[in-house]
Amino acid sequence: MKILINGKEVTAEPEQTIVEVARRNGVFIPTLCHVPALEPAAMCRVCTVEITERGRTRLVTACNYPLRGNAEIQTESELVRQGRKLIIELLYARCPDSSALRALAERYGARLDRFAPETKECIMCGLCVRVCEQVGGNVLALCGRGVEIQVDTSFGRPADTCIGCGACAQICPVEKIKIEDVDGERRVIVRGKEAARVPLRRCSACGVHFGPVIDLKPVLARAGEKGVPDFNRDVCPACSRRSLARRLAERHYEQHEPGPHDPAEER
Amino acid sequence: MGSTSATIDNIPIVRLASPHDLVEYRKALVASSDPDSPRVIVCCGTGCQATGSVEVIEALRTAVAEAGWDGKVLPRIKPTGCHGFCSRGPLVIIEPQDLFYQHVTPADVPEIVTQTLLGGQPVKRLLYKSTESKGLVPHSRDIPFYSKQTRIVLKNIGRIDPFEIKDALAHGAYLGLAKALTELSPKQVIDEVTASKLRGRGGAGFPTGVKWQSCARQEGTRYVICNADEGDPGAFMDRSLLEGDPHRVLEGMALAAYAIGSQRGYIYCRAEYPLAVRTLIAAIRQAEGMGLLGDNILGTGFSFHVSISTGAGAFICGESSALMSSLEGKVGRPRAKYIRSTERGFRDSPSNLNNVETYANVPDIILHGGEWYASHGTARSAGTKVFALTGNVHNVGLVEVPMGISLREIVFGIGGGIPNKKELKAVQTGGPSGGCIPIPKKFIDIKVGFGTLAEVGSMMGSGGMIVMDEDTCMVEVARYFIHFLVEESCGQCSPCREGLIRMLEILTRITQGEGRDSDLQDLEEIGTFTNNFSLCGLGTSAANPVISTIRYFREEYEAHIRDRKCPAGICKSLFHYEIDPETCTGCGLCLKRCPAGAITGEKKMAHRIHQEACIKCMECYKSCKFKSIRIL
Repeated sequence: MKILINGKEVTAEPEQTIVEVARRNGVFIPTLCHVPALEPAAMCRVCTVEITERGRTRLVTACNYPLRGNAEIQTESELVRQGRKLIIELLYARCPDSSALRALAERYGARLDRFAPETKECIMCGLCVRVCEQVGGNVLALCGRGVEIQVDTSFGRPADTCIGCGACAQICPVEKIKIEDVDGERRVIVRGKEAARVPLRRCSACGVHFGPVIDLKPVLARAGEKGVPDFNRDVCPACSRRSLARRLAERHYEQHEPGPHDPAEER
Repeated sequence: MGSTSATIDNIPIVRLASPHDLVEYRKALVASSDPDSPRVIVCCGTGCQATGSVEVIEALRTAVAEAGWDGKVLPRIKPTGCHGFCSRGPLVIIEPQDLFYQHVTPADVPEIVTQTLLGGQPVKRLLYKSTESKGLVPHSRDIPFYSKQTRIVLKNIGRIDPFEIKDALAHGAYLGLAKALTELSPKQVIDEVTASKLRGRGGAGFPTGVKWQSCARQEGTRYVICNADEGDPGAFMDRSLLEGDPHRVLEGMALAAYAIGSQRGYIYCRAEYPLAVRTLIAAIRQAEGMGLLGDNILGTGFSFHVSISTGAGAFICGESSALMSSLEGKVGRPRAKYIRSTERGFRDSPSNLNNVETYANVPDIILHGGEWYASHGTARSAGTKVFALTGNVHNVGLVEVPMGISLREIVFGIGGGIPNKKELKAVQTGGPSGGCIPIPKKFIDIKVGFGTLAEVGSMMGSGGMIVMDEDTCMVEVARYFIHFLVEESCGQCSPCREGLIRMLEILTRITQGEGRDSDLQDLEEIGTFTNNFSLCGLGTSAANPVISTIRYFREEYEAHIRDRKCPAGICKSLFHYEIDPETCTGCGLCLKRCPAGAITGEKKMAHRIHQEACIKCMECYKSCKFKSIRIL
């Protein structure tokens, strides 16, 4: 396979996507709806590049296009840049304060005031939905269709199957999903609306709230037997680490006096 | 639906144990039906049912039962699928004379029975009148709407009772399948289809033989899927096929299954087509009962099971990957995968998806050979194509024509031209994301084909053809189609979702008289971008109505934007009516028609329109016989 990216020859394995090959070789291709850990969905289209294969040139999305033979790729052709500029202008109108979009706008000369701003507060990249499906409790979905499409929970009601993992908030490129831990509860706020509320676990040693009370069965099933860390579900990570350090220290210095007071030991 | 009396009914339905059995059974059916026996054929397609054909059938049954036949053969009353000439429905054809009656009501039935069935004379007032000579045309075979068509897939529609498999068998159903199962290997079936040069009738025009070949090469379970999610506004080709001749589609699917090595087929049909679903259910049941579908077809060991799945009203589910998603029970949204569904489609298995009309072409290709089929049409677009002819044309309905026929022949020859002495302005082909072809300028003699339509900025699509006269505003046409697509876009990918809504905003503004100088440039930029960057077929053709109308009717856009005028008199904020005092005869017709009381005037004196009261409903404009009402 002979792959040329912007005229420079690079190596690639069959079935690798253009984005993988480009990034490995230090070529920038913008993405808004793609993270390597998730199946690509090619929704934002900002990663569109021009590819020539067997004499035929066309536009494809780099995030999910698998390379299968000789190809010549232009990541910044005039057509590509024009399209990206328009995507950024259109998406910025949906979510007018996104810093991720502002940075891209600068790069592609997008006019941020071209379209009248809306208050959708979401660029519809679908990352939260996909990460929730694969990592979390599968409570977020793309609801409705066309211009009405939006990220929501079933029937728009707060979800009772949310595990409060926070992956949605962590992955959102425009930071419109918030996790708030208040009064022993974790609230997942999607575009200002409460999507779920999950009770938090209290550390039996130090008393702080440290993570959602969840049914671990699906998580363990997804992770498989191996690779699941053996952790004490009643103790917060800080206390857990302290307790482990203490046990190690005791084993090593058995002849010495016990160390300072450790709340985790008093359970 | 059943029948009153005839010998064909006396032949029992049996399970056919071999292809030879089918041939013999068909011989018996044909021998039992006398071509000279009296028959009353009533169109019971959705169009004619809507105008009352079911009532006509009931009235016929009663009247025939009550009449004294005096030793004569009792006429057989036969409900059939759509004859195509929907604007003249309900349609009744009297055989063997081939008398064509239009707009038949139950009140006409006694006359039909006494005068025609008993007396042998036509009921003149129900006959078709020629649009040119104004003379009566008694026989359907002489009506240009029918005589200028070439019918392959529609051949049996209007002749057979779709709920009666024996009728279909007598007309040759499943003979292609029997031939393939006895004489041809799966590879030879594919070779015939390839030789026929058949291209997908759903719109994209992918060579069917190549698709089948690619699916046949794959390993594992393979599926045969029929796309019956016909959603283009005004298009009803697939519906009529399923309602009128379901066995032809089922036979085509079975042939595909045999060719690619599949045992499982699905028909994804719109839930809005209840009659089609009913005919299909009955057809599948009857075919399974006779050993023409299901396990061990015709005793050859080949098995193929078909089930129906109904959609939930989403236009996007006509897109192949969205259709397969929906069939799997998921949300019907296109999948972002650069992989053909013939490799990984439904349930991640190799799937062969074709349109209803594509499958319907296959039985005749197998029966008569690929070369025979390729001899129809043009070199690059072989065969025939069914079009749903609608809009400002005399003969609205379903027509099947050879590829390569000119638009002139379709619109004027078959369609009978434009009503009300209006000028033809444009023809829109290819459904909502097709393009508008300007007619008077240069394209009236364009030959219909996949390539030729694409060259002028439109597309073949699935076969919608909307004729537009001089009173059509092209900006409004573009706005209408973009509005349709905004509603129907799945919304996943940003160019389609955002691009369409922004184009709709601009078009709406222009039609309301608030166009800006930058609008045309913006429309062209966003339109080209949407077509280039979208994920699926809907998005990549969504801007065609805008791009093609700007390309051919730029001056109309400019009139809206710069002069704040709608030349066609459609966009209500951009025109007003005035009566020309020079030519107005004061006949008073407009005054009588005006629902808003906005017209005043003495008899035989020029009338006047009071602008503040006028609601611009067009009634006066349409009623004036002297063309005295002007659009300003």
